[in-house]
Amino acid sequence: MIVSTHQLRKEYGSTLALCDVELRVSSGSVYGLVGPNGAGKTTLLGILAGLRKPTAGTVEIGVEWTKVAVLPDTPQFDPWLTGREVVDLARSLTDPSVPPGRVDEVLEEAGLADAARRTVGGYSRGMLQRLGVASTVVGRPGLLMLDEPSSALDPAGRREVLDLVARLRGEATVIFSSHILGDVQEVCDTVGILRAGELLFQGPIDALLVGSAVPTYRLRLRPPGDAAILALRRAWWVRSVEAVTQEEVRIFVESVEAAEQHMAAALASTDARIVSFGPEAATLEQVFLELTS
Amino acid sequence: MSLWRLEWLRLVRTKRWIALASVYVFFGLLGPLSARYLGEIVERFGGGVEVTFPPPVPADGMIQYVSNVSQIGLLVAVVVAAGSLAFDAKPEMGVFLRTRVPRLWDILVPRLVVSFLAVGASFVLGALAAWYETVVLIGSLPVGGTLAGIGYGSLYLALVVAVVAAAGSRSKNVLGAVLVTIVVLLVMPIVGIVEAIGKWLPSHLVGALAGIPSGMGIDDYLPAAFVTVVLIGLSLWLAVRWSAAREL
Repeated sequence: MIVSTHQLRKEYGSTLALCDVELRVSSGSVYGLVGPNGAGKTTLLGILAGLRKPTAGTVEIGVEWTKVAVLPDTPQFDPWLTGREVVDLARSLTDPSVPPGRVDEVLEEAGLADAARRTVGGYSRGMLQRLGVASTVVGRPGLLMLDEPSSALDPAGRREVLDLVARLRGEATVIFSSHILGDVQEVCDTVGILRAGELLFQGPIDALLVGSAVPTYRLRLRPPGDAAILALRRAWWVRSVEAVTQEEVRIFVESVEAAEQHMAAALASTDARIVSFGPEAATLEQVFLELTS
Repeated sequence: MSLWRLEWLRLVRTKRWIALASVYVFFGLLGPLSARYLGEIVERFGGGVEVTFPPPVPADGMIQYVSNVSQIGLLVAVVVAAGSLAFDAKPEMGVFLRTRVPRLWDILVPRLVVSFLAVGASFVLGALAAWYETVVLIGSLPVGGTLAGIGYGSLYLALVVAVVAAAGSRSKNVLGAVLVTIVVLLVMPIVGIVEAIGKWLPSHLVGALAGIPSGMGIDDYLPAAFVTVVLIGLSLWLAVRWSAAREL
């Protein structure tokens, strides 16, 4: 584990912001920290980054301090500095041994090469966010903490930031906090769900999607499909069948294994005209709402 | 790009050095001029009222300079220093710096030194302008005493910068740091009305540039200088302590 916390607790007066959080982030993973506003994501990242002090509990970081980089949700810089100067300042403070040529390299990757010599006071919100990412990666960190890096960006800006994060996979461990679940599902391999300061789930994102939601299949068939639907409803491994359209139904099954074993035979026995059928993947949003509701 | 260069660029690109230098040099040139021609000025704008002034003496040039810069000049100095030393005023900028340096001192030292050098150099420039013009218009000033007065004034400005650092580490924005510093600096001369205490207070140093040419001894300011040095140390200690305790 590159990051682990034990019984981590943070109180602001009488408000409990984090409650005995046991975070486990394995080396090389892209860890998505999700939760509604006020769940404690920023507080947790602040404690991991050393910017806030926990009320109780411990934090263990498995890389040296100079290899930890943090990007706040709305990065800001002195407006009279150029983009290149901002990244070069980050380089010299983080690791002066990194060659200055690396500055131009990360600015190019962030799509800011053309704007590098302009003062950042004239940068758009998306450009500032990308400049923040460039400043964060310039020192080749081993652990990055990105707090809502794609929030409040337009679709193009969001796309660019997500691509930047995706390119970090394999180069560093990333903790990526967001309430945009689609972003997390796209770039993260591990997820932690935080609600009101409690870590409700953490683990591989695939395990969450398969394990938490009721396994569901989607079946398309030519009308009339009544006989097939009736046969499915009678099957012991089917929980329920829900009509989506005249030609399409959702089948909630007891388990994926049982469905894989019996569904083809059950449909074949009814003479129904089957167009297609297959498992319906749960989205992180569905699972998240299930867990947090 | 280092934190030292960052502070230098802050002064140059935001034109803060121009604001500082122009205020101090302006009052440096204006002080002796108004001391020399006060009678003529009052006569021209006095509406026929005849006012008689004693002939100006060289110390008057410095008295005028000190009285001007101890108000407007000091306010500009505090605002400029607070703009640099309240580095957590925008938390995102604070995060950028704090997560990249091992010690808070690394952030504070360049800001303290560059702010002091800018404020101190402006004060010295203004004093030299006032000195030159006093010599030309009124008469010569004692070299040793004037230099000592400039030194005491600079020491007081070092305290001002240190107090701004402490206030900046406690308040949440630049305006808060400015207001807290102004209140602290205003309290000192009020307390200094009590004569027994007054000569020990840093605010006593403000008048050294005018006081020594007027007949005060250089040694008369040593108690205040000693207290000022102690308070500079205390302010810097508080600045580091409060900055370390702050959560972003």
